[in-house]
Amino acid sequence: MCDSCGCHVPTEHDHNHHSHSSPKTVDVHTSLLAANDALAKLNREHFEAMGAVAINLISSPGSGKTTLLEHTIEKLGGDIKIGVIEGDIETERDADRIRAKGVPVIQLTTGGACHLDAAMTHKGVHLLEKQPGGDKIDLLFIENVGNLVCPATFDLGEHKRVVLVSVPEGPDKPAKYPKAFTSSDIFLITKTDLLPYFDFPVPECKAEALHLNPQLIVMDFSSTTGVGFEVWLQYLRDLVKEVKRK
Amino acid sequence: MHEISLVQAMLQQLSDLAVQNQATKIIKITMEIGQMSGVVVDSFRFGFEVLSGNDDLVRGAELVIITPPVTYRCTQCSHSEITAAKPDCCPQCQEVFLIPEGGDDLILQQVEME
Repeated sequence: MCDSCGCHVPTEHDHNHHSHSSPKTVDVHTSLLAANDALAKLNREHFEAMGAVAINLISSPGSGKTTLLEHTIEKLGGDIKIGVIEGDIETERDADRIRAKGVPVIQLTTGGACHLDAAMTHKGVHLLEKQPGGDKIDLLFIENVGNLVCPATFDLGEHKRVVLVSVPEGPDKPAKYPKAFTSSDIFLITKTDLLPYFDFPVPECKAEALHLNPQLIVMDFSSTTGVGFEVWLQYLRDLVKEVKRK
Repeated sequence: MHEISLVQAMLQQLSDLAVQNQATKIIKITMEIGQMSGVVVDSFRFGFEVLSGNDDLVRGAELVIITPPVTYRCTQCSHSEITAAKPDCCPQCQEVFLIPEGGDDLILQQVEME
């Protein structure tokens, strides 16, 4: 699989075989995600060897993942070396927007698949490392395909998983799409500058998310106006500092 | 529809198992799909029907899907409730923050082959 870095693709098979005469029953007890998870573990080790902390961004299409990244790069790009892997079904458009901010970026187009998996991410990180500055990254963002369902099942090797819901989408997303919230570390409510125009009770939405996952860190802000954004920026600064200390 | 990707992962494991066991036909597959796994069982079955139809090894095999109950642990009194549906609150102390334990597994449990 990986001819660019020489890292081995793990053999995950750990099957318990009962031999019987034909026909026979074999107890397997292997996760369908075993191959993905083994590769995700390898990705995580690779990110750590690079000295990077990796963040997987999950949301519906149009929640503001790319806008979040544009503004995060503007505010932190001077102090922290940021790299981005963009996942989309088609087009180079998101990568073009990030590239305009002057950071290394690679676009993965899945050609129809509704989520990124560990193998695609593995390919993405090696392509990113070949970009100018791509081998010196403190903070790696992996922007998943816009979809609040399927990406939640696949570990990419990230250290932190971030789920976004924007105000126009409505506050019922945690209740309707629980897996994205139970599997995430951070929940961002975005586009809060639009709160005057939508019925979006922020405390109720937060409470529903925390009901599903009491360990979630919840923040709400507007990337474009900057109101509340500093909490997110400080979280990232602390996260990078914590990794560098290790 | 990530269920298709997961069915493909299952077919790959079945193919490997058949080689290891010198089998040419899969008869029965037992899968555990947790309630919190984010997998729609009907979509998984649909994906299996479509993909197994093109696969000589698996065509016609019986797919058994088991959905085990989930344990919910109370964040206040640590009471554990094992249940099929998520309770609104802890039956002991009425705390609403309960942490699910398990239930997100996608496990190929057992394969019958010849």
